Amino acid sequence: MPDTSVRIGSLVLKNPVLAASGTFGFGGDYARLYDVSRLGGIVSKAITLRPRAGNPPPRLWETPCGLLNSIGLENPGLEAFLAEELPRMRELGTAVIVNVWGEDPEEYGELVSRLSLPGVDAIELNLSCPNVRGKGLVGENPEATARVVAVCRRATDKDLWVKFPPQGEVLQAARAAQQAGATAISAANTYRGLAIELETGRPVFANAIGGLSGPAIKPLSLRLVYELSQVVSLPVIGSGGIVSWQDAVEFIMAGAHAVQVGTGNFIDPLCAPKLVRGLRKFLVQRGLGSWELIRGCAHRGGISGAA
Amino acid sequence: MDRQVSLVRAEVVENRELVPGVFLLRARGNFSAQPGQFYLVRAWGLDPPLFRPFSAFDLSQEGISFLYAIRGRGTSLLARLQPGHSLTLLGPLGNGWPQPEGKLALVGGGVGIAPLYLAAKAFREADAYLGFPGRPYLVEKFREVAGRVWVASERGQGGHRGSVTEIFTPDGYRVCYACGPREMLARLWEMCRRAGVWLYVSLEERMACGLGACLGCTVFTRSGPQRVCREGPVFPAQEVF
Repeated sequence: MPDTSVRIGSLVLKNPVLAASGTFGFGGDYARLYDVSRLGGIVSKAITLRPRAGNPPPRLWETPCGLLNSIGLENPGLEAFLAEELPRMRELGTAVIVNVWGEDPEEYGELVSRLSLPGVDAIELNLSCPNVRGKGLVGENPEATARVVAVCRRATDKDLWVKFPPQGEVLQAARAAQQAGATAISAANTYRGLAIELETGRPVFANAIGGLSGPAIKPLSLRLVYELSQVVSLPVIGSGGIVSWQDAVEFIMAGAHAVQVGTGNFIDPLCAPKLVRGLRKFLVQRGLGSWELIRGCAHRGGISGAA
Repeated sequence: MDRQVSLVRAEVVENRELVPGVFLLRARGNFSAQPGQFYLVRAWGLDPPLFRPFSAFDLSQEGISFLYAIRGRGTSLLARLQPGHSLTLLGPLGNGWPQPEGKLALVGGGVGIAPLYLAAKAFREADAYLGFPGRPYLVEKFREVAGRVWVASERGQGGHRGSVTEIFTPDGYRVCYACGPREMLARLWEMCRRAGVWLYVSLEERMACGLGACLGCTVFTRSGPQRVCREGPVFPAQEVF
């Protein structure tokens, strides 16, 4: 039997498949359909200090093999999350990673401090939401990234995953996050994208720019994970257009320790558990005992011994 | 406790074009939706990425049917389906219509009649007011199960010439269930509010997960943001207008 588990900082995931933030709620909605304890972990919808109503509709727009979204961080706020959602998340039988978004470094600090609770297995700092009007993306900038991560590192002992946007000075920002005490790099969030309604000549979203996800962006996010895994020594968690176990293997070969499934959940609601099964089968069929031998093998001339 | 949802494949039995661009799709299988609930439907691979949400039009021992109009890429692909092809269905989803108390009117515009047929079957003696942009369809099916049925269409085919809100009067009803274009629903709300008739509307919104997780289908109501796929698709009209 292969060991499908992966270690990210102090956390051991039973397998490398996570549900990505913003696509899986707090896990309970998908638990109506399948046993979500089969997943390696669930990353929560982004939590902010105060509740947020999010952006007006429409919030979704399809593009060829892609999906633009403009949700705008709708969430119940930290208090309601702690009182109602976190206790339920802990009962789902898999790792709980809480994604947080703050207006400034201090807000991030307060969020991670108050989330330093048993049952929170890691905290993912969302430095990459494309859907808040008038806010630059922290993760595009190394100095801004370092400030947020440093404040959070002082505020908690929890593992800190840092989720980056796919554009901007991400490689430098990831190095800055590592120096500031991050535990892992999550790459990446959606691409800033746009769609325009021909009838009106106006952007389809009230905020104009939305975030592009789905199979359309997979080669781009795979390239980013490939580059990131060479410039940081931290574990990299890959995401962006992953819909099949083959996609996930590519990310692992590019250097990822784990992967997140986002839009894949919408294309096939059973996408994530199918990945878990497919990845295990891959290890068995290749006679691999664990992920060690193939993780990052694309940087080393491929699978050792492969013709 | 939340109801369970299933993801199933079903075989297409019939995909009939009722009037140009409007189809009734029947699929085989054992389904159990409440009136006003919906399914996410797809019959393609990765593209377009999202399922399409459709109200259950009818349920029988043989299977389920959906009424849809060609609007974009997804519905164009559905329109090509032939008997024997397979569909993927996720559901049943959403809240459905409440149990009516008192005399019920059903008001539908175009393919907005879709969630009303099961209501007509379940809540006997409901009157139906059906409006169509062109030639009417499925009126006979409503006549089999509803109380009285009135029809309006733009050129007067099948009944009144004009819009459905011109033939509907709230007098004599306690409650009204409606689905159709937003302007129609807004007009109905004006009428029902003045007459003291409870109006429930079934809303449509672009949707990704259908399960309540992604918040893509949120609408703003008087009680704050609500998910069309979970708190809806049926909302009391005073919440949304």
